[in-house]
Amino acid sequence: MAITQTVKTKRIQAPDFMKKYNFIVGVPCSKLKDLTDEIKNYIPCTREDEAMALAVGAHLVGKKPLVFLQNSGLGNIVDIITSLLKPYGIKVDLLISVRNKPEQHAFMGKITKKLLKLLEYKNYKLVIQK
Amino acid sequence: MKRINAIKKITKNVKNEIVISTTGMISRELYAVKDRPRNFYMMGSMGCALGIGLGIAINSKHKVIVISGDASVLMSLGTLALHKKLNPKNLKHYILDNGCHSSTGGQPTCSNVIDFSKIAPNTRVIEVSKEKGDAPRIPLSPKQILKRFKHAISSNRS
Repeated sequence: MAITQTVKTKRIQAPDFMKKYNFIVGVPCSKLKDLTDEIKNYIPCTREDEAMALAVGAHLVGKKPLVFLQNSGLGNIVDIITSLLKPYGIKVDLLISVRNKPEQHAFMGKITKKLLKLLEYKNYKLVIQK
Repeated sequence: MKRINAIKKITKNVKNEIVISTTGMISRELYAVKDRPRNFYMMGSMGCALGIGLGIAINSKHKVIVISGDASVLMSLGTLALHKKLNPKNLKHYILDNGCHSSTGGQPTCSNVIDFSKIAPNTRVIEVSKEKGDAPRIPLSPKQILKRFKHAISSNRS
């Protein structure tokens, strides 16, 4: 399922997301708080690649996982995308909040879409601050 | 103990358990001693084996065995904390500790300053020798590994 989509919003509509997935895991962002607040049994992942690994495990036993993260954590999942998801043909939907300011977020904000394109990753939804 | 003998010992009595093995020689040696569809050979993504095992364990009733090396666990030490937090009773983690990256030439890790088994539950550290081992590459593609794994899980074959 390709869900490539960009949403310009202040807040993510949590219920729309919750119903599509039965395992939601990730690293939090204030912009995704409405979603994370709704998660029962919230799993306190330490890193984005760990969240991806949990999602892959869930996928292996038939669950439909979603991984949420800030774009600042996109770099942390490059290896698991290139060396696990791609060669094994596993698809995991991503919900990525995009920060592009202040300075420490600016460069990743600029290249987030390009990086996903370079990774040939199609199963994502970007949430960009209005 | 040789690493391959530790893997033999761990897998000697497995029946329906899912076995997740980490990158490199550990997966190759697992293939050599006990290949079965319920083995998930994680050939890349070093450091992610325990995370995958946790994802399976908390989302199913399957018994899960994760076989890691010291270097791969050190890459994702935070996952040991998450393991302790989630504490699934259906997951057993073995760490084969040779204190080095044996397949890249024996460069040392810092496993000697840490006791993994004190961080996370159901974790057993087995000290193994530093030798590289000579198990051949796994003659299955990642997609073949995944396909037969999913088939075994869904049809309850061992």
